Amino acid sequence: MLDSTELGDRRDLSADVCIVGAGAAGISMALALADSGLEVLLLESGGLDTEADTQALYAGSVADPRMHSPPDRYRQRRFGGSTTIWGGRCMPFDAIDFEARDYLPHSGWPIGLDALLPYYPEANKLVEAGEYAYQAGNAFTRKLAPMMRGFTSEDFSADTLERFSCPTDFGRRYAHKLRAAQRVRVLLHANVTELHLGESGHMVEAATVRNLAGQHLRVSARWFVLASGGLEVARLLLASRSQDPRGIGNAHDVVGRYYMCHIAGTIGTLSFDGPDAQVWHGYDVADDGTYCRRRLALKADAQRRLGIGNFIARLHHPRITDPAHRTGILSLLFLARAFIPYEYGKRLHGEEGASFGTWMQHCRNVLMDAFGTAGFLWHWLRDRTLAERKFPSIIVHPRVPRYSLDFHAEQEPNPESRVTLGEEVDALGMPRLVVDWRYTHGDVETVRRSLLLLARDIQHSGIGRFDYDPNSVEFEMTRYGAYGGHHIGTTRMGTDPRSSVVDADCRVHGVDNLYIASAAVFPTSSQANPTLTVVALALRLANHLKTQARRVVPLFPNEVQRSGPRPQGESPAPADTMRAVS
Amino acid sequence: MSGAIRAPRRVLVLGADGFIGRRVLEALGGCDWAHPIAAGRRIAAQPAADGEAERIRLDATDEQALVKVLRNVDAVVNCVAGKAQTIIDNGHALFAAAENSGRPRIVHLSTMSVYGSATGVVDETSRLHGDLGAYCVAKLTAEYNALHYRRSVILRPGCVYGPGSPQWSGRIAGWLRAGRIGDLGIAGDGWSNLVHVDDVVQAVLRSLTREVEGEIFNLAQPSPPTWNEYFLRYGKALGCVPVQRISARKLKLETRLLAPPLKVAERLGRRFGLHDLPDAIPSSLLGLFRQEIRLDVRKASERLGMRWTPLKQGIEQTAAWYRTGEREARAIEGRIA
Ligand SMILES: Cc1cc2nc3c(=O)[nH]c(=O)nc-3n(C[C@H](O)[C@H](O)[C@H](O)COP(=O)(O)OP(=O)(O)OC[C@H]3O[C@@H](n4cnc5c(N)ncnc54)[C@H](O)[C@@H]3O)c2cc1C
Repeated sequence: MLDSTELGDRRDLSADVCIVGAGAAGISMALALADSGLEVLLLESGGLDTEADTQALYAGSVADPRMHSPPDRYRQRRFGGSTTIWGGRCMPFDAIDFEARDYLPHSGWPIGLDALLPYYPEANKLVEAGEYAYQAGNAFTRKLAPMMRGFTSEDFSADTLERFSCPTDFGRRYAHKLRAAQRVRVLLHANVTELHLGESGHMVEAATVRNLAGQHLRVSARWFVLASGGLEVARLLLASRSQDPRGIGNAHDVVGRYYMCHIAGTIGTLSFDGPDAQVWHGYDVADDGTYCRRRLALKADAQRRLGIGNFIARLHHPRITDPAHRTGILSLLFLARAFIPYEYGKRLHGEEGASFGTWMQHCRNVLMDAFGTAGFLWHWLRDRTLAERKFPSIIVHPRVPRYSLDFHAEQEPNPESRVTLGEEVDALGMPRLVVDWRYTHGDVETVRRSLLLLARDIQHSGIGRFDYDPNSVEFEMTRYGAYGGHHIGTTRMGTDPRSSVVDADCRVHGVDNLYIASAAVFPTSSQANPTLTVVALALRLANHLKTQARRVVPLFPNEVQRSGPRPQGESPAPADTMRAVS
Repeated sequence: MSGAIRAPRRVLVLGADGFIGRRVLEALGGCDWAHPIAAGRRIAAQPAADGEAERIRLDATDEQALVKVLRNVDAVVNCVAGKAQTIIDNGHALFAAAENSGRPRIVHLSTMSVYGSATGVVDETSRLHGDLGAYCVAKLTAEYNALHYRRSVILRPGCVYGPGSPQWSGRIAGWLRAGRIGDLGIAGDGWSNLVHVDDVVQAVLRSLTREVEGEIFNLAQPSPPTWNEYFLRYGKALGCVPVQRISARKLKLETRLLAPPLKVAERLGRRFGLHDLPDAIPSSLLGLFRQEIRLDVRKASERLGMRWTPLKQGIEQTAAWYRTGEREARAIEGRIA
C-alpha cells in the first residue's frame, strides 16, 4: 500500500486491471482478483482516515436542498469509501426487481436474479452478514416469536429478513488482505480526474491521476474498472471530455440520468388490540451471531396486480421529535441530536422547529423514565459502542403496543432525475456535480397503495389497526428528501446504448476495456439496500475479467506477451517502478 | 513412483501414548500385515496378547535403548511430542540409532510449524523458517535429522483435529463454550489447515506401504476453512450459539491480562493436581489464527492417494465426541456429589 505523494511527479504506472475507488465495490474486486495472476492497481482518492480537503472534492450543489443532501454528505472519500459510515443493512434483490414491468417505466435488467445468485453468498461473507439465508424459515432452526401474532395476508410476507453487517468497514477489515496480496497494489491519495480514450475511441488508454500536493501520474491498464461510487462514476465519465465534449460512454446523453435513491419515511400509528397482542419488531440473532430483522414485504404478485414498485415496511418506534411518546431514550436522542453524525441525525431534526415547550417535555421524559434511559444506555454501550458486531439500531419496546411504520420503497427510473457537471471546479480542476434528484407520481403511488393494502390486511386480520393520513403520504415520503447514501442508476445497465450506459457485463457500451462496479449500473432500485448487490456485481465482474484474461486474445496488439495472466511465481514485467518504492 | 512394496511386519510406534500415536497404533492393530509395538516413556511393558499390541517402555531420546529395539523392527512411526528439548533429543537419538541398527523405514511426524511465519501457498519445497519460537526450531532440527536419513518419510500435518484431539478440538470447544473465541474478525482470517486425525493415520499407513521413502508430504484439508469459519461451524455443531464476534479489545485482554495468571495457575494446578483450570489463550496462537499460510497438499493427494475426510463430517463427529465427554464428565461429577 503506497501513497501517491511518495512516487514523485509525472510517473507512469501500468497494471492489468486498474480499479478506481477503494470502497465496497473496489475492494471486493481487488480481493477477488488477488489470486488471478493479474496485476491489480487499486487507486483510491483518500487516505486511511477522513481528511477535510479530500472530502471537499466530493462537494457539489443540489437543485433543491430540501430534496437531496449536499453531495459531500452521505459519502466518504477515503479508503473504505462509504462503508466507513454505512449502516450495514443487507438483503438481496428480489426476482421481480430484474423484470421489465410494463407498469414501471424504464424497468428491466438485461440479467436476472440467477446471474447474481452464484455471487450473493460470497458477497454476504465479505459484508460479514453471516449465512446467505434471507427467509426466517431457513435462517433459523429455532421457532421465532411471530412478528405480529395473527397477521395473515395474501399480499405481504412477514418472513423475509434483513441481515446486518457488523457494519464492516471494508478498508479496515480487508487492508491486511490487500497488503498480503502480492499482485495487488493500492495507491492512496490517487484521484482519477480523467480517462483518455485511444485513437480508435474504443479503448481507454490511460487515466490521469492527481493528488492535492499538485503531482500527477499516468496509469495505463488492459482494463479499467470504475468503482468510485454511484455519483462519482457518472462524474468521471462526464468529466472525461478531452476527446468528446459529451464525455465517455455518453453518446446518447444517458450518463447521469435515471438517478435513484429510495423512497423512505415513517408514517401513522399501528396499534394492536387485546391483552394477548404479541408483537416482535426487534432483532433476532442467528446462530452465526448476525442480527436479523423481519419486515413486511409486498409480494411480487401484489406489486404486479397493483402496478406499483417494490415495497417493504418495518414496525418502528414513535416519531422521536414528538415528545408525546414519553420514552426517555427517544427524548434523549432528540436532545442530543447535535452530537449525532449528520447522516444519522438528519431524521431527528424534523420539519417543525422545536418550541421551548417541546424541549421541556423531552427533558421531562428523560427524567421520568430515568431507569429506562439508563438501562438503554448500558445496552448501547455494551452492544453497540464496545461491540465489534454492533447492535444495528435503536429498538424501543413501547409500554403499550403502538408503533409507527417505517417504509422503504423502490423509486422508479426517471430520466429527468439526474446529475450533471456544474461550472465550478474542485481543487484538482475537476467540474463539480449538480444533483437534481426527482421523484414521480408513480413513486407516490407505490407507497400510497402499499400502505392502503397493509392497513386493510391488518384490519382484516383482526389484530389491530393502522391509522395514518392518506393525504400525508407524499409529504412523509419526502419529508427528509431522497434517502441518503444509496446512489443508483446513473450509468444504468441495458442492451441499448440509447437508453443505457453499460452492457450486461458492466462494460461501457462502445469502450472495450472500461467497466463499472457500482450501484450506478442498477437499472432499477428495488426495495433493497444496495451494497450487497453492489458487492455481488463486483464479484461477478471480477469473474468476467478472469475469464477474459484466460482468452489469449491480445487487447493491445503490440503487447501480446501481456495478454494472459502471468503464472503464479513468475515475476511481473517491470512496466513501472513502483516496486522500487514499495 | 508410488506402488505397493513388501509390507513391513514389525512396526514400532514411538510416542504411542500420545493422541496421534494411540490412533496410529489402533489402526496398525487392524492391519493384517502389521505387528505393531507400542513404545513410550510411561508405557508399562507387556507382550502382545488378545489382539492388544505388544508394549514396551522406552525413552525415545535414549540412543542406546533405541539401538537395541530398532534391531528387531521393520519400520518406525515417530509420533513423539513434548517439550522442545525432548523433540530435539528424540530427533538426534532416533535417526542416529537407526543408522546403526538395520536402517528401518521411519515415518516421521513433523509439523507445518517448520514453515514458520511464511504466508501464501506453501508446498513441500517451500523455504523453512525457524522463526516462531522454540517448538518451531525443535521441529525443524528434528526434521533436519530425518532429512539426512535416507529411509525416512516426513509428514507435515497442519492442525490435527478430530475426536480426541486435545489441541484443536477439545481446547477449542472449551473456549467456544466459554465465549472466549468465536468469530475473530481480522484476527481469524488465517487458513486453519485442519487435518482430521483419521487422515493423518491414513497417511502414516500409506507411508509405510508405498514407495515414498525420502519424500515429504504436507497434510491438510485441500480447501481448509479459515479459523473464523472453523470456529463458526464447530461452534454451531457444539450448540454454542450464537457464535459471538470477539472484538480485538477482548482478544487483547485475553492475551495480555488473562493469559499470564492463567499460565501460572496452570503450572500450580499441575503441581497440586488441579486439572480443570481454564486454559490460557497464548498470543502465539492468535498469531497462527491470523497467519495466511495455506498448505498445498496436492502431493499427498496424488502420491499417497489420500481421501480427505469431508470437513462437515469431521466437525460433526468431533462435536459428538466432545458432547459425549461432557456428558460423561457430568455423570461422574454427579456420582461424586
Ligand atoms: C450513512 C450511510 C448509511 C448506509 N447504510 C447502508 C445500509 O444499511 N445498507 C446498504 O446496503 N448500504 C448502505 N449505505 C450505502 C453504502 O455505503 C454504499 O452502497 C457502498 O458504500 C457503495 O460502495 P461503492 O464501492 O460503490 O462506493 P463507496 O463505498 O462510496 O466507495 C467509493 C470509493 O471511491 C473513491 N473515489 C471516489 N472518487 C474517486 C476518484 N476520482 N479517484 C479515486 N478514487 C475515488 C472514494 O474515496 C471511495 O473510497 C449507506 C451509506 C451511508 C452514507
